[in-house]
Amino acid sequence: MPQLVLTVLKYLFIVLLYLFLGRAVRVIYLDLVGPRVPRPASPKVPASEPAKRKRQAPRVLVLTQENKEPQSFPMNDQPITIGRGSTCEVVLDDNYSSQFHARVFPRDGSWFVEDLGSTNGTYLNRVKVSSASPLAAGDEIRIGKTTIEARR
Amino acid sequence: MRRRNAELAMMILAGVIAVGANLLVDFAHSSALPAWLPVYALLVVGTIALTTSVMRRFAPYADPLLLPVAIALSGIGFAMIRRLDPTLAGPQLAWFVIGLVAFCATLIVVRDHRRLEAFRYTLMVVGLGLLLLPLAPGVGHTINSARLWVRIGGLNFQPAELAKVVLATFLAAFLAQKKELLTIGTTKVGPWVIPAPRHFGPLILAWGLSLAVMVFERDLGSSVLFFSLFLATLYVATERAAYGVAGLGLFTGGTLFAYHSFSHVQTRVDIWLHVWDRIDGRGYQLAQSLFALGTGGLTGAGIGQGQPKLIPFASTDFIFSAIGEELGFFGAVAVLTAFGILVARGLHIALRARDTFSTLLAAGLTTVLGLQTFLIIGGVTRLIPLTGITLPFVSYGGSSILANFILLALLLRISDGEGRSA
Repeated sequence: MPQLVLTVLKYLFIVLLYLFLGRAVRVIYLDLVGPRVPRPASPKVPASEPAKRKRQAPRVLVLTQENKEPQSFPMNDQPITIGRGSTCEVVLDDNYSSQFHARVFPRDGSWFVEDLGSTNGTYLNRVKVSSASPLAAGDEIRIGKTTIEARR
Repeated sequence: MRRRNAELAMMILAGVIAVGANLLVDFAHSSALPAWLPVYALLVVGTIALTTSVMRRFAPYADPLLLPVAIALSGIGFAMIRRLDPTLAGPQLAWFVIGLVAFCATLIVVRDHRRLEAFRYTLMVVGLGLLLLPLAPGVGHTINSARLWVRIGGLNFQPAELAKVVLATFLAAFLAQKKELLTIGTTKVGPWVIPAPRHFGPLILAWGLSLAVMVFERDLGSSVLFFSLFLATLYVATERAAYGVAGLGLFTGGTLFAYHSFSHVQTRVDIWLHVWDRIDGRGYQLAQSLFALGTGGLTGAGIGQGQPKLIPFASTDFIFSAIGEELGFFGAVAVLTAFGILVARGLHIALRARDTFSTLLAAGLTTVLGLQTFLIIGGVTRLIPLTGITLPFVSYGGSSILANFILLALLLRISDGEGRSA
């Protein structure tokens, strides 16, 4: 084979290798962001809705984990720690959770949720919790793959 | 989510890479299309058809990347082996087919990997038995001063390769059962509270035996591999950094002991530190490897157009240097990235797993695969002292291909279980 053709083929082969890797990276990327789902059309509604809704005090935490029956934890004037550690009130079976991940506690008649310096963070209604945040009925706490809902 | 179509597309690209690499080997010295082309192309198409249909039928929710990446690596490896030593092409192809059969058989027989958990002590005995086999008189066999081989009916086999998959499964099963006992301290030793020593029994037995055996068989690479496998699985199970620190201490101690007690360890370190002073003697092989990598430059000499035959054992331990010379920096980085993808997906599977056994098994198998790659590529590029070990899927070697395809099937089986229940 003439040298020129060989050189062209050599470069083509390297391009082929990177095409293959590029496709693989694309699959990994789609895995991370999830399949494309069309976004709901009206962004204004969810922004204004919580302001109108009356924020009521929650009475129970409902823990929903993958492949498990939902569990309820009553909220009576005692702080509730959430995490993977077996001494937590709400014990999670979630690889993304820390041993002592978050705490839900009452103060002056209202309930708050705070992060206990967890590795992966605590989210309240999809917003990351940076300091103690007020918790109302209907709010959703997310830790790793687990969601905990505050209900009346 | 089923992603078998993404996998099929990747498999076709992997097939094109395999055929292309092999064509380039022949084009380097002749212009005609080689006579073997239809046979090889048929084999590649057969491989794709067989593996993807087995995946569709028996593991429809499994990861779509592991298999294509492994097939692409095997294709490049096969081209390099043919190019380095054509007499090895036949046996390598035969082992590849055996590897594929083992891959499919594993997926078909092991429908639920969690059932393996019940066989923990059987697996331990089988794993240690495999390690001890080369020391047995009659079947054991020494090649290149390492007593690693078993010869049965003219076929040479390295049982340590299979033992790493078996022992990874044992460890995962054992630690899934005992992890609490090993995480929580009950006994006080000085200022520390440590778990009760009796729970460590089987672990220390298996650990000590596998290391002792490796020392007797003079296989440095496998010693480091088994040590790290135990440590990594223990750490993932308990999440106690103390095990990592203790392991590092043990590793340092063990390394110093090995260095002072075994001449072959001293030789390896000596070559690593003073390769240019030993270039005419024991350092010749590593020096040639470095020359090959340097000669390759950015884009390489082109497959079939370099001089990688100058490196002794280029088709087994030093295949990465041959790839570096003929595919250049870009080709070498592509191969490294491919291994990076395998490891990343393996750890992803471990993280997503819902039960402890699956997490530990996926993490252990991935550790074996990633560490083996690091040890041999680090060795031939003189990052660390060389420990003779194969590059998974790429190097020549029947036991290595067989073991790694079984390992791949187990990882896919775990990831299928995750997708199924999601």
